[in-house]
Amino acid sequence: MEKKLKNIFVDGPIEPVFISNSIANHSRKTGIGGHSIFLGQIRADPKEGNKEVVAIDYSTYRDMALEKAHEIREETFNKYDLHCMHIYHSLGKVEKGGISLFVFTSSKHRSPAIQACNELVERIKSELPIWGKEILSDDQTNWKVNT
Amino acid sequence: MTIKIKAFGPIADKMNARELELDPPGNLDDLRKALHEKYPQLVHLDFAIAVDRKIIRENAPLSPGSEVALLPPFSGG
Repeated sequence: MEKKLKNIFVDGPIEPVFISNSIANHSRKTGIGGHSIFLGQIRADPKEGNKEVVAIDYSTYRDMALEKAHEIREETFNKYDLHCMHIYHSLGKVEKGGISLFVFTSSKHRSPAIQACNELVERIKSELPIWGKEILSDDQTNWKVNT
Repeated sequence: MTIKIKAFGPIADKMNARELELDPPGNLDDLRKALHEKYPQLVHLDFAIAVDRKIIRENAPLSPGSEVALLPPFSGG
């Protein structure tokens, strides 16, 4: 790949201060009238035997994921009238309550931002080669299945 | 000469390896057959095959330099 693809991966959880800085960075883009933000959070899912999910450890096929994310980004920009689009996904371990996915779209009016954000989340979950291994309270592991 | 096949997520876990090796198959159908013969544990696992980072569901020729990967169902987000 000669082309430099935009990185979407963050090591560990996506910190709330990173998200607030990302919002603040748009204050000079005064053509924007609406932002839509999706945050995916690690849920302490109850599991059989009185156990629960305490963290998810994410891994990826990085080269393919970045190529696919680039393709999704281009298609979404062509489909919706957006000013900006940002996608971040965690790799490695994120504990329950931590943020592992941050999708941020901005447009002149609200509708394209909201629709594009929803579509991006669905496509990220179904098309990017990323795998989440759930770590349970007894240290056992279980591969997450997306529904 | 063998080709190396990348394995990810639950497949890498189950095989206890991030890379599998095979004699170079001529096409994807041969690859599927050879994988199941050499690694019978794969028969019960659900995965797609990517060639040069694109998922290919039907048959297609493989060249010695192809980047081949086994992709279990994605679970990001």
